[in-house]
Amino acid sequence: MDTTLSTPTTGPRLSHTEITNMASTYSHEWRAVCDKFNNAQDLSEVESRKDPENDPFRSKYKARELLREIYCSLKNFDVGENESVNDEADQRPTEQPVDGGMEESFGRGHCGDSPAGSRAAKLGAVEYYLGVNHVETEELSAGEEHLMNCMTLLEKCSISPENVSLFIQVRNQLGILWAGRDEIEKAQGFLETAEAMYIRYMKEDGQPPMDLTEFFVAEEEALPQQERTKRFEMAYTHTLYYLAQVYKNLEQYEKAGGYCHSTLQRQLEFNQFLPLEWAINAATLSQYYITKTLYMEGRHCLSAASVIADLAGEVPSEAAAQESEAEAEKRDQLRQKRAEIARCWIKYCLNLLQDAKKLLEDNIGELDMDRQAELRATRLKEEEEKERGRKSAVLFGSSDTFDSICGLEEKVSCVFPVDFEEARAIFLVGQTYVNQAKEYFEMDGHVTDHIEILQDHSALFKALAFFEEDLERRCKMHKRRVDMMEPICKDLNAQYYLLVCRQLQFELAETYYEMMDLKLAVANKQDDLDAHTVKKFNHLCSSSTKFYQMFLDSVRSPEGKWPEKLEDEVLRPALVAKFRVARLHSRLISSSKTIQLENLNRSLECYNFVVQYCKDNPEAKSAIETELELSEEMVSLLPLKINRLQANLASSN
Amino acid sequence: MQHQQITNSGDSDSIKVFVRVRPLTQGTGLTTDGDQGLCLTVTSPNTIRLHSKPEPRTFTYDHVADMDITQDSVFSSVAKNIVESCINGYNGTIFAYGQTGSGKTFTMLGPSDFDNFTDDQRGVIPRSFEYLFFLIDRESENAKSFLCKCSFIEIYNEQIYDLLDSASASLFLRENIKKGVFVEGAVEKFVTSAAEAYQVLSMGWRNRRVASTSMNRESSRSHAVFTMTLESKEPAKEVVNIRTSQLNLVDLAGSERQRDTHTEGSRLKEASSINRSLMCLGQVIMALVDVSNGKSRHICYRDSKLTFLLRDSLGGNAKTYIIANVHPGSKCFGETLSTLQFAQRAKLIKNKAMINEDTQGNVR
Repeated sequence: MDTTLSTPTTGPRLSHTEITNMASTYSHEWRAVCDKFNNAQDLSEVESRKDPENDPFRSKYKARELLREIYCSLKNFDVGENESVNDEADQRPTEQPVDGGMEESFGRGHCGDSPAGSRAAKLGAVEYYLGVNHVETEELSAGEEHLMNCMTLLEKCSISPENVSLFIQVRNQLGILWAGRDEIEKAQGFLETAEAMYIRYMKEDGQPPMDLTEFFVAEEEALPQQERTKRFEMAYTHTLYYLAQVYKNLEQYEKAGGYCHSTLQRQLEFNQFLPLEWAINAATLSQYYITKTLYMEGRHCLSAASVIADLAGEVPSEAAAQESEAEAEKRDQLRQKRAEIARCWIKYCLNLLQDAKKLLEDNIGELDMDRQAELRATRLKEEEEKERGRKSAVLFGSSDTFDSICGLEEKVSCVFPVDFEEARAIFLVGQTYVNQAKEYFEMDGHVTDHIEILQDHSALFKALAFFEEDLERRCKMHKRRVDMMEPICKDLNAQYYLLVCRQLQFELAETYYEMMDLKLAVANKQDDLDAHTVKKFNHLCSSSTKFYQMFLDSVRSPEGKWPEKLEDEVLRPALVAKFRVARLHSRLISSSKTIQLENLNRSLECYNFVVQYCKDNPEAKSAIETELELSEEMVSLLPLKINRLQANLASSN
Repeated sequence: MQHQQITNSGDSDSIKVFVRVRPLTQGTGLTTDGDQGLCLTVTSPNTIRLHSKPEPRTFTYDHVADMDITQDSVFSSVAKNIVESCINGYNGTIFAYGQTGSGKTFTMLGPSDFDNFTDDQRGVIPRSFEYLFFLIDRESENAKSFLCKCSFIEIYNEQIYDLLDSASASLFLRENIKKGVFVEGAVEKFVTSAAEAYQVLSMGWRNRRVASTSMNRESSRSHAVFTMTLESKEPAKEVVNIRTSQLNLVDLAGSERQRDTHTEGSRLKEASSINRSLMCLGQVIMALVDVSNGKSRHICYRDSKLTFLLRDSLGGNAKTYIIANVHPGSKCFGETLSTLQFAQRAKLIKNKAMINEDTQGNVR
């Protein structure tokens, strides 16, 4: 449905009679010209789609012939006029582009409603269509020539309702043409001029301008104002769309992002979009913003994506999907795209929590009170700035979606959380989207996607745990992570999911390690260790060891051999795993001296491995500097401890 | 030409590329017939020089084979090792890539598709079957037993068709925690010898032809994926070791049809005037999302069906070889360049994902 647009109240200056006045003398011939034009349009846009594979441009060539005839008729209409018109045959296109963003040079001469101006505009339009036709049939240089002729014809014309559409569209085409030749700066020049022309026209005039097709229609077929506006705005949306691509190709990413954003907004505003496609694009843009730490913009894109995706309609029921293939397709599409948007929301919550954690943590990864106070203070200032930023940002929405988008935004914060309460609010939103995404991406059928969602869920818990001050409760959060991942890690076939398996094993090992540390911290506050606590502590140690070991085993060949050289992507994780296993062995609590001795020997073995590997492969040193230093230290200290223990053991026997 | 055996000692599992130059002969149906100008020279067993202006360009690959290479040495370089790995439980994939008429079919199948399976000129696929069953027979002597299944599908226009069941509608890709990625409902045929495997292949190949004429599916625009699933059982102490592996043989769409976004450079995507869609806006935005800064992000655009199906082969847990076929005629310069560039890009495909490790406060 089209949204109604308010048109300027100044009545149209454009009289159609005037445009066709000179032609009226030849009304009979003129009618023939209009018919030809209609035929050419039809051939070019409808018929050409049915052209056979071996003659793909048949209809386009026919259309070209008609356009040429129109051109000749137009030239003939003016016999007897004293206008000196440049013969287009002498008009070789200049090598230098006419455009370079110099909008001061726009002509102030002709206007579309002077006979000369009207003639130039018509000839220009035919040149434009001929240019597009040649480009479409892969004759680029001829196409360029026609487009440049169009530019030349219009040079003397001012930016008026009769000309402005053609001004913009011919530059859009030239932009595409030059970009295709790898001359991006040239393309940029044309497109930026088109942009400047639009802005200036809207400032100075702004009434719905004539469409290109209207040069060749009978008076009674003139377009309604609303349709004129729509086509004109669409052409400008395309200008922005091309500019977004040009800036991307020039690696001006921030600018490209801005133009993508504006393109999306205009699609909404003028109701020229497909809901699902639009929503996915907005959600993707949100991911650009969050990688740039622009959470306010990211949240805005996501809220808009969610609202617009809902416009795509109701999800057909499973029963309906069973009945018809079209319904099944629609059901799958809707569910999938909405789940994708939910996944983008998850990343938003996750990054917001993780970034806050980075700001707040001290050098051992605990919450730093001073930083917390600092962040609270700066946030007050920032909020005012944000509000100002919001006012200047391009906001999404059409008249009937704007409120829902803002409403959805308010459901989650876009500033860094400073304490557990705030972090929890963001966590809960993230968790809601986790559940939504899992509804479509079920384990059976979407293994990789499902696991990635779980990994995000685990990461959300991990980030939230940072804000939790109570160590016991923090431990429980990590336990939730274990419960999520452990069963999958057991069932997953490493033959096909080697990398995912490794990620899960490593994360489980780390999580148990973390829990072991927390238990230790809790125990240190108590006076004596009871048997239960010791048992629990040892269990966490062994579990962590088990998963590190599984990860290490995944590096072995099918025959169980250790590689001479670790591959880049597992080099650091594998050495870190060895180092952790060494520490875990030395942490195990046992009352038996024999077992203590065994554990220490194992520990030494692993430390030795790390040191030896780095000796053999010096290039590995940089990857694990800290761990290596500690390992070297332990390799020199542990034997003393082991000897003491051995002596002790010998004397007691 | 001196043939080099590629050894398997500690080779990293990145993708390997084998470039093969076809001889310049008449009657290839290419526009180069009668034109004797060459656009390339094989300068060593690993390098190829393209006579581009103003400067000639040299490309380096794992192996470059000139016109006179025998079918047997192509097999030995490319497939022998992969087939051996399959027997030992690794997955393996061989892709054939190149423009129509560059010798893909000759390399993969042999001179005239399926006439004789004993011809000295038979291609990589029949030789792989022979070698695979030769190894199976040898292994079977020491109490190992094998089960071998084949499926054959075609991907056309992002739809999947079963070439072993021409009556079937398009199929879906799914994933399963045990089986990995698979085509749901694809026919699987058990085979016990090279000849049987070859029969299954030729039946599917014929169906592909029929489909391309009767259903307007151009075979030069489709990818065909022949998959052999190998299951081995080995009784060990009290337990039975079961290993499965897959061998994928892939005939990619002619490279001249592969005008994908990566080869178009700076060309702008045009807005379609037909509907309200700015189809490629998403791709532009996607390119802006920075992957390098370690942030977690989600991209909503799905992989193509082919990359999804072969995800494992593209920088995963598998041995992969790409055979890039090129035509030396100077008229083919453009296509040859883009094939060589594609093959070079393929070399860079590594596993993108990493082991996530929290480096904060872990040394305590």
